[in-house]
Amino acid sequence: MPGIKVTVRKVSMRIVRIILLIVALAFFVYPIFWLFSTSIKQEVDIFSSPPKLLIFKPIIDNYVHVFKNTDIPHQGINSIIAALSNTALSLFMGTMAAYGISRFKVGGRRLLFWFLSLRMLPPIVVSVPLFIIAAKLRLIDTHYVLPVLYLLLNIPFVVWMMKSFIDEIPEEMEESAHIDGCSYFGAIWRIVLPIITPGLVATGVLCFIFAWNEFLLAMIFTRATAMTLPVGISGFISVEQVFWGYITASASVAAIPPIVLAWIFQRYMVRGLTFGALKS
Amino acid sequence: MAGKLERSGGRTLGDVRKRFGWAMISPAFIILFIMSIYPFVYVIVVSLHRWTIVPTIPRVFVGFNQYLFMFKDSYFWKSLWVTFTFVLGVVIIEMGLGFAISLLISTSKGRWLRVVFLMPAVVAPVVVGLTWKFLLSYDLGTINYFLTTIGLKRVNWLGKPFTAFISVMIVDIWQWTPFAMLIFLAGLESLPLEPYEAARVDGASTWQILRYVTLPQLTPVIAIVLMFRTLDAFKTFDIIYMITRGGPSNATEVYSYKIYQKAFFHNQLGFAAAMSVIAIILATIMMNIFSRLLSKAQTTTQK
Repeated sequence: MPGIKVTVRKVSMRIVRIILLIVALAFFVYPIFWLFSTSIKQEVDIFSSPPKLLIFKPIIDNYVHVFKNTDIPHQGINSIIAALSNTALSLFMGTMAAYGISRFKVGGRRLLFWFLSLRMLPPIVVSVPLFIIAAKLRLIDTHYVLPVLYLLLNIPFVVWMMKSFIDEIPEEMEESAHIDGCSYFGAIWRIVLPIITPGLVATGVLCFIFAWNEFLLAMIFTRATAMTLPVGISGFISVEQVFWGYITASASVAAIPPIVLAWIFQRYMVRGLTFGALKS
Repeated sequence: MAGKLERSGGRTLGDVRKRFGWAMISPAFIILFIMSIYPFVYVIVVSLHRWTIVPTIPRVFVGFNQYLFMFKDSYFWKSLWVTFTFVLGVVIIEMGLGFAISLLISTSKGRWLRVVFLMPAVVAPVVVGLTWKFLLSYDLGTINYFLTTIGLKRVNWLGKPFTAFISVMIVDIWQWTPFAMLIFLAGLESLPLEPYEAARVDGASTWQILRYVTLPQLTPVIAIVLMFRTLDAFKTFDIIYMITRGGPSNATEVYSYKIYQKAFFHNQLGFAAAMSVIAIILATIMMNIFSRLLSKAQTTTQK
């Protein structure tokens, strides 16, 4: 009976698929699960063998300690300052440029790819010269240096993202506004800006995540006063010490904001990760 | 004649528009131009000198000797080779695995799956590196624990050159396969249904549909993933810094990390600058190849 054969094959294919999916999920979720669960474990539970995966008494002591007795809150605030001010600057300049490229075709494809290639360059390449300038301007370890440096990262991103959003608006909308007596800026303010606001928010969120996660430049350009979370956490890498609870709690503090933001803005994530090249 | 009609006071409307366009671009363009052209010129100048970070030590012009010196340095070639194999390995595996998982998920409805797979790509590489360093720890890491429970021996992941190299590859694959997967998934979902129905009516097998219907239509998406992943993998620094610091015996010393070492630890700014010049050249070549590939793929699928 061929009919039964086909259904047996279909069912077994389905089971294989589900098993494969579970294996994949386990691999990609486990490290994050481990990080968060360790951060709410007591020391005895962290080092117990066999490891306690699900059944243990959750505590928040590690977080309390990290927030009370370490530099993590200070570094967190530094990260927020750097990421937010950079996001504002990048959005402003990047969206203006995106509008110019989208509507007036200034610079064409070459300008667009110039922006992208800046983003694609290894940041270590520019860090020594920029460090020397920053040192001369006495900007090392100040709150000004990272927001400016991250423009290299985020302006190209905003240009590409916002160009893709502005491209979707028919040009006739602004033209009719011009006929009604609107200036160029007036048309942008009244017609374009309201339409691209969701895109602007999503792009800003991604800028924030990129700046929040950045490590190499932050490590080179900050020491203490302006040190950001990733740099602070990178100091904990000795596994031999026993403070795994504190370390994982600090790392979780750095990991949670991007995950929450990605969760909220998931609709825009594929578009963001491909710099607007792919819409989802 | 249309151009003449638009003329007002010697300037065409097109001129005004163009000028406004340039005005809009100039803040972003000027600041990025300054922040990139100065470093570029600077690294080229420094690469022609013997240059230390201490200003009192005289800087000697050595011409291209720095480059000759670099090309004779076996550690430079080792680092280039490590980077090349790392990039090639992770990009192939991430794309293959990402595509396979995207096929597994594409028929399921649940949006939560996508969000779960999004997590690795948005967590800071520093956090990822730290987490994996603990997971891979020889006697306290849970990976070795799982290995022993299924009857295998503990692996000294980070202690030996080869396993350390494999370890950092696994970490990169863990973080970026979901990125490739999500983009393939978006690509799969944007495909029109008609070619599939036609192929099925013609009696094509699943494999044939995949090979002759899905893959050709996905070329632009494949090109995007290839470009982003290759150039991003070329920049890898954070996880190396966190997990291996380039060791053991330089087995994981990728290019960015080597430049960092030369500049900030060995105090050989000339050497670091010469390596940076090579990095700029390599990245530019790759950008050009990929951008051509991308525009070619986009025009052929649009036809």
